[in-house]
Amino acid sequence: MITRPMIPAGAALFLLTLLFTSCSTLPAIRSLDAAGTRAAAERCRRPFLDAPHRFVHAIEAGMPEGTMGTVLGVTLFDPPSGIVHSAVLTLEGFVLFEARYDKGVEVYRAVPPFDAPRFGENMIDDIRLIFLAPQGRLLHAGALENGAAACRYEGPRGQTVDVIVRPDDAWEIVTYGDNNESLRMVEAFFVKNRIPEAVELTGFLTVDYKLRMTLISAEPISPEDVKKH
Amino acid sequence: MTTVKDPIKRGVFLAAMLFSCFFMPGWAAGWEEVQREAAKITSINARFTQSKHMSILARPLVSQGRFYFQAPDSVRWEYTSPVKSILLMSSGGIKRYTLGSRGLVEDATGSLQSMQVVLREISRWSRGRFTENEHFSATLKGGKEPKIILAPKEKGMAKMISRIVISLSSDRPGVLESVAIFESEGNHTLFAFTDVVINVPLDESLFRKPQ
Repeated sequence: MITRPMIPAGAALFLLTLLFTSCSTLPAIRSLDAAGTRAAAERCRRPFLDAPHRFVHAIEAGMPEGTMGTVLGVTLFDPPSGIVHSAVLTLEGFVLFEARYDKGVEVYRAVPPFDAPRFGENMIDDIRLIFLAPQGRLLHAGALENGAAACRYEGPRGQTVDVIVRPDDAWEIVTYGDNNESLRMVEAFFVKNRIPEAVELTGFLTVDYKLRMTLISAEPISPEDVKKH
Repeated sequence: MTTVKDPIKRGVFLAAMLFSCFFMPGWAAGWEEVQREAAKITSINARFTQSKHMSILARPLVSQGRFYFQAPDSVRWEYTSPVKSILLMSSGGIKRYTLGSRGLVEDATGSLQSMQVVLREISRWSRGRFTENEHFSATLKGGKEPKIILAPKEKGMAKMISRIVISLSSDRPGVLESVAIFESEGNHTLFAFTDVVINVPLDESLFRKPQ
């Protein structure tokens, strides 16, 4: 006799996923004494430069199906005002996408497929995550078991943002959804004078994606340089 | 995040437009002369410096590399800095290799359709047939500083590229000085060519192997 499952396999998988994600817990951050907490909170600011800068990166993009390609990225950001201006170019110099964030996203140019709905907002979100300190309330500062400083911030839309800074200054930022599921992860490698030679961003949103950003140049600029464009 | 296939297609298209610029050796009372002189080119080997100008850049973003062409349709367009990348076109096929975190790997480029479009354009340009381009209308300007100006025919293309200005050497027939691609106000790319060597035999493997 053949027995039929009570619920379709797809629904079972969905319920299991739901059960799993609802039971996810955030990584444990070990509490420290008052001085240690202050030091950890300060150390968690190291990934985020205080002054306006212009960065140029080579960006390798990867998707689950293995599609890879390389573009150039130019990013201006002004930490005090939160203004971000970014452009994506082909190696031949053709501008595929250009947008600016100043309390809202304004897309100047978007060549298909960069004109997809919400692409500009998502890209600016990624850039702000990498270059600007979390704006939300600091919930907890302490250390991980491996000795890295770790801070947990309130994020937008019920999210949580963890910033982890290792003793060698390499750092990691992870955002979690309201079920504590990982949304995006940024890892910085080979950090010199607070500027990483390489940054890797992994997104776990509706489609997984990975961007590997290799530094070409980084230079301080004036706030006017960011505001005038 | 979306795929990067289309950006690469566009890169290939722009590179193809640049290759075409070498096929204008005559100085050039008219298109007939351009076409006649184009037929004399069998190979090209040149350095190039690409300067990207944008309002958000204080200084141009400079890339450098080398260009090789072998008639009728083999091309190697190689960037040496800041990102090593090699575009190879040979026997109707196009491949691009880029040096990244996984070494020198082949990009997953666009569809066969886009390659066919590029090759068709190159084939026309290689015979000096600029006036047959379906995307751009060409104007030849002679004089002391000869130029060819390509203007987009359709609004869709005009949104991407407002014009292309090709500057020809006035005193060295066969030598191209620069190509400027204007996308919008304050946003253009200048390709300057130096050490241009014409009609010297090139190793066939240049167009098949990235290294």
